[in-house]
Amino acid sequence: MIIPILKRLTWALLLLTIQVLILNHVHPWGYGAPLLCPLIVITLPMGISRSAALLWGFCIGLIADIFAGTAGISSAALTFIAFAQPPILAFMAPRDSDEELYPSFSTMGRWNYFQFVALLLLFHHIVYFALEGFSYFHFTDIFISMLVSYLASLILIVLVEHVRNPQK
Amino acid sequence: MHDFVERITAYIHWAIFLLLEVLSGLLLFKYNSYQGSIWFTQANTAAAYVHEWEAKAFAYLRMPAENAELVQRNILLQHETDSLRHLLADALKDSSATEKKQNTLLQDIKLIPAHIVDNSVRNRDNLLVINAGSNAGVEPEMGVVSGTGVVGIVSAVTPHYSLVISILNSHSSISCRLRRTDYFGYLKWKGGNTLRAYMEDVPRHAHIKVGDIVETSGFSNVFPAGIFLGKVAKIKNSSDGLAYELEILLGTDMSNLRHVNVISNLNKKELDSLRLR
Repeated sequence: MIIPILKRLTWALLLLTIQVLILNHVHPWGYGAPLLCPLIVITLPMGISRSAALLWGFCIGLIADIFAGTAGISSAALTFIAFAQPPILAFMAPRDSDEELYPSFSTMGRWNYFQFVALLLLFHHIVYFALEGFSYFHFTDIFISMLVSYLASLILIVLVEHVRNPQK
Repeated sequence: MHDFVERITAYIHWAIFLLLEVLSGLLLFKYNSYQGSIWFTQANTAAAYVHEWEAKAFAYLRMPAENAELVQRNILLQHETDSLRHLLADALKDSSATEKKQNTLLQDIKLIPAHIVDNSVRNRDNLLVINAGSNAGVEPEMGVVSGTGVVGIVSAVTPHYSLVISILNSHSSISCRLRRTDYFGYLKWKGGNTLRAYMEDVPRHAHIKVGDIVETSGFSNVFPAGIFLGKVAKIKNSSDGLAYELEILLGTDMSNLRHVNVISNLNKKELDSLRLR
């Protein structure tokens, strides 16, 4: 019971550190920074209670917000995908999979897992950038920021997942 | 009854979801008012400590460029003071009275040096955190400047850090004027390019040229008059057609700032109390 939680906590802290110390300062062509935090929520296992998933999402978002000065934005976006993750995972996971499936390339299959990540990340970015720019003057700017950040995050997450879980 | 309770608990995550989203929304709106708690901003001690440590580490990597800029700036200022001193001596043979006046003006202004601990330029409402707080004499509403011009206005202070509303913030509005003709207006940033801002409310009869210098007006008393803001890049009509809207090329590149000074005007309270009457 306690070991998986500690493991998840270490994983979350690692990703948050990378996000705060490095990624928050990277702005490809001056647009939105890649966001790695959603990966913590995306990789929550299948058996987890929905309330627990929501609390994980909110707390991680809150920490990311405090360090980035974006109070409420990350927490809202991560809570949202924590709400959406279990049903999407149940739908996209292979039929014969474990009760406690940990989403990754090896457990879900390469293409399946990529679709799963891309979909949840898209939800996250739509909420995040809608909140960040809900009274923004330049609609095109916020849209380009979202697109650049989305692609950068997706590439980064795929790389991280390959390092974490190398394919045979 | 049992069935009812079971059905409720099966949908409890909906309630939690809504609760957490509402909580996020509250944070978002509270934060937008700036006067709210600064606990959820980068100026809270834990976040500021991490950012300061990080800023120190990265500062070493940037020292050569920074040094070069300072030296350049120094030469420029030396040159400027030299030529100004000559001009002043020529204009006023009896300079003792003027000098006295200048000195009393400068006595009212104290500069508090600080380093930037955290900075953002990509949001709609950008904020900075500097490592000088109430212990160093910083108070809300004080102006922050760098060697190249205005940076922002202090919004909140903790004992060791201050939160600064950058000029790259949709809530920022700085009273400014054109150096050549003295027409005044307000400097606003509208998102996007970090080097472009807009000066609004410039009357239609003003004669403006591209390249005119824009500086602080000194009306608000947050900044003394005459601090460089930028140059006029484009002249446009305002949306209602009643005034000009000038596109300003800002003098300060907010994305690579490190050293700033907080302007502490000792007479500000006196002036503000006068305004209230």
